[in-house]
Amino acid sequence: MNNYRRLIQPYVLWISIFLVLPMILIVLYAFTTGGNDVLTFHFTLDNFARFFNDNVFIGVLIDSFRIALITTILCIIIGYPAAYFISKMQVKSNAFFILLITLPMWINMLVRTYAWVGILSDNGVINNILSFFGLGPLHMIHTEFAIVLGMVYNFLPFMILQIHASLSKMDPSLVEASSDLGASKFETFKRIIFPLSLPGVISGITLVFLPATSSFFIQRLLGGGTILVGNLIENYFVTTGDWNFGSAISLIMAVIIMLSMYFTNKLDKERGED
Amino acid sequence: MKEKYGSKVFLGLLMVFFYLPILYMIVFSFNGSKSLSKFTGFSLRWYEQMFANKSMIEAIYYTVVIAILATIISTVVGTLASIGLSKSKKVLKTYVEQINNLPIMNPEIVTAIGLMLFFTTMKIEKGFITLLLAHIAFCIPYVMLSVSPRLRRLDPNLANAAMDLGATPSYALRKVIIPQLMPGIVAGALIAFTMSFDDFIISYFVSGNGIKNISILVYTMSKRINPSINALSTIIVVIITIVLIVVNLMSMKKTKTNKTGQRIGLAVVAACVGLTIFGLQKLRSNTGGDFDPIETYGCDTLNVFNAGEYIGEDTIAKFEKKYNVHVNYSLFASNEEMYTKLLSGESYDVLVPSDYMIEQLMQEDRLQKINLDHIKNYDALSPMVTGLDYDPKNEYSIPYFWGSVGIMYNKNKVSQEDLETEGFGILQNPKYKGRIFVYDSERDSFMMALKHLGYSMNTSNLDEINEAYEWLRDIRANDPVFVTDEVIDGMINGEKDIAVVYSGDATYIQMENPDMAYYEPLEGTNIWSDAMVIPKNSACPLLAEAYIDFNLDETIAYENSEYVGYTSSVQSVMDDLIAGEFKDLPSYLPRSGYDKDEIFKYNPKIRKVISELWVKVKAK
Repeated sequence: MNNYRRLIQPYVLWISIFLVLPMILIVLYAFTTGGNDVLTFHFTLDNFARFFNDNVFIGVLIDSFRIALITTILCIIIGYPAAYFISKMQVKSNAFFILLITLPMWINMLVRTYAWVGILSDNGVINNILSFFGLGPLHMIHTEFAIVLGMVYNFLPFMILQIHASLSKMDPSLVEASSDLGASKFETFKRIIFPLSLPGVISGITLVFLPATSSFFIQRLLGGGTILVGNLIENYFVTTGDWNFGSAISLIMAVIIMLSMYFTNKLDKERGED
Repeated sequence: MKEKYGSKVFLGLLMVFFYLPILYMIVFSFNGSKSLSKFTGFSLRWYEQMFANKSMIEAIYYTVVIAILATIISTVVGTLASIGLSKSKKVLKTYVEQINNLPIMNPEIVTAIGLMLFFTTMKIEKGFITLLLAHIAFCIPYVMLSVSPRLRRLDPNLANAAMDLGATPSYALRKVIIPQLMPGIVAGALIAFTMSFDDFIISYFVSGNGIKNISILVYTMSKRINPSINALSTIIVVIITIVLIVVNLMSMKKTKTNKTGQRIGLAVVAACVGLTIFGLQKLRSNTGGDFDPIETYGCDTLNVFNAGEYIGEDTIAKFEKKYNVHVNYSLFASNEEMYTKLLSGESYDVLVPSDYMIEQLMQEDRLQKINLDHIKNYDALSPMVTGLDYDPKNEYSIPYFWGSVGIMYNKNKVSQEDLETEGFGILQNPKYKGRIFVYDSERDSFMMALKHLGYSMNTSNLDEINEAYEWLRDIRANDPVFVTDEVIDGMINGEKDIAVVYSGDATYIQMENPDMAYYEPLEGTNIWSDAMVIPKNSACPLLAEAYIDFNLDETIAYENSEYVGYTSSVQSVMDDLIAGEFKDLPSYLPRSGYDKDEIFKYNPKIRKVISELWVKVKAK
């Protein structure tokens, strides 16, 4: 049996180099200043002070999490019924719909987002249709609405697939038993189906909330220069070349995300123990 | 019944939502014009252009090769590691599982910059290898995530039984364990392939030296969105649909032997690997006949780093053909981005930065002298762009394009009088609220604020800069939209009435939309000049000089300038175009000799201040 144990050794080395070391470097940069050289560093908290003492940065951070939260909630509201309806279908159409949902993910995210620019813009497809009926124009592009739409569009499939996976794993006899015992449809959903699908919802939240907070091109294309935390990080790494401050912002974002994920997961476990 | 009907409507609407952009993309891939919002007639030109565009073919090639290699490697490593992990001690197991979650639980951008810092610190040159390593690094955890649950369900006695019956460990692994895990492995491989194929953020930060995948190409096509991308995506949609249909048909007939499936799988992998090697040779192979560039120039590959859409359609292909060399052509979105990429260890032979950036590169001793004897077309350059302050003898830089920054306005909607009396101040005029595009450039935005306030755009006075910052904040009351590349399509479609633009983009916009006009404010503006330079660490300076000289050739310079709309540095080309193609377009011949106009100077103190203030202007 132990023959296979050593298979893990090269992998431990690999993750130490490619997963752990890069994180250590970010922390190192975040707590140092001066130049982009590892050898000339000295410890400081300045980068964090600079961030938290500035209302503009705090505002950007709050905006990012607010938009990510709205996106996540919308994805649950739309994604849950979608996954539920699909899971209740027959095997063939079930597989077909899952295929339909996965297919767009194969087309480059940026290209799909660019397409929305043409659809939403003031002279775009939607407004052309509206003006045909003598309505509009509706100003949609370069608004927060457009950003949220772009994010929901890009990340909703993850939510649907996760919830769908947990719903299809469910034993259908549980639902039958519940209705045999006299529970209403709603009660069965509330007491049986929803709690059992919660792990799927939780992993869906992770897969939506994470990329939504750190995205930087969706708001750039659809938001007309809206700055969210992903843009801040990109700006400090690519444009300003201040890698120390950029690392500090990344670290702040990562810590907040990890904390929120930790509490979300904890919530799930506590529910399970009830 | 009702409920069923409702669910159908709901799913139908959802599919409309998912497929609307894709349908849109497919329709516009057949558009006759360059516009992304007006359909002007059926044409296949973007398909032709896609196959003719070498950097696009290269990007497709790298995307596919990286995805295949990353999938194969991460699936093998991930599966073996999962098996190893399942037999490991609990402490190690938790530790590895936690770390494995890092790329999944961490925002992608954090993983990306972590890897970038890692490669830079280790002085590993960014390119194919770094891109591949990064993709493997973030794919393995997903493979393990999908293999591990299967392992948990696997009876641990199976392998023991096989070995008791005389199987060697590796035989038992191949014949007993792996087949049991197959569904998980296949699912993991699929996820890995999808992740790698579509990845943007990580690739964007770890790639370099001309190696780019489709995502990076799309993102750096910053100047003008190229509809060939729609053509490419349409082809991808078609291919994937076919593959999925075939797979589904095959799984329906899933009866006969598993062996056929395995053989088909093997054949597919072999075909992919073959294609990879063939493609690599084809891409690298040169087509210029007998000429031996190595003998003359000492090398046969040139790395060029230029702004997006800033060159004629066929210039690179013609150069490659004439000199029998291969050009790695990379794009940047701003001078600052170019500089950062240089700092992070990428090496190039020719760069095309702007005036102030050239000054900085010269001061930091990052450029090498150009031998003017090798630039045979030097005398063709216009006296307007040679001998400028930052390089009076043109020892380090050879002018490429030049122009000004000004206001593009809709002649029917903006009063000429407002423009003349207010200059850049028109951006604060409430009459035009919600009708304004501002170019997302920190330098040029501060330039117009400083000019409007009557200061020099090269000021070091922090009070003046703060005043400019307040002025820019005040523009926000007019709800301007900050854009880069979209300004071109936006103004062509008349989406806004006023935009801050570069003169070359103005020329291009006016060719497509005659309602627009270009105005250079009397407060003065930025007269800029972009030039070709050779970095100190170029391994190929002689070929770089040949490339620079090639771009000054009258025919080539004409094609470059005509295609992008920017003003050529070659006098005869400038004269020809203003008398012909760009007649009556003053934006093609920007103002010169006006005493309030300036050229940007390198100012290390101010750079970071302005950069941070600009972020704050844009933030709420």
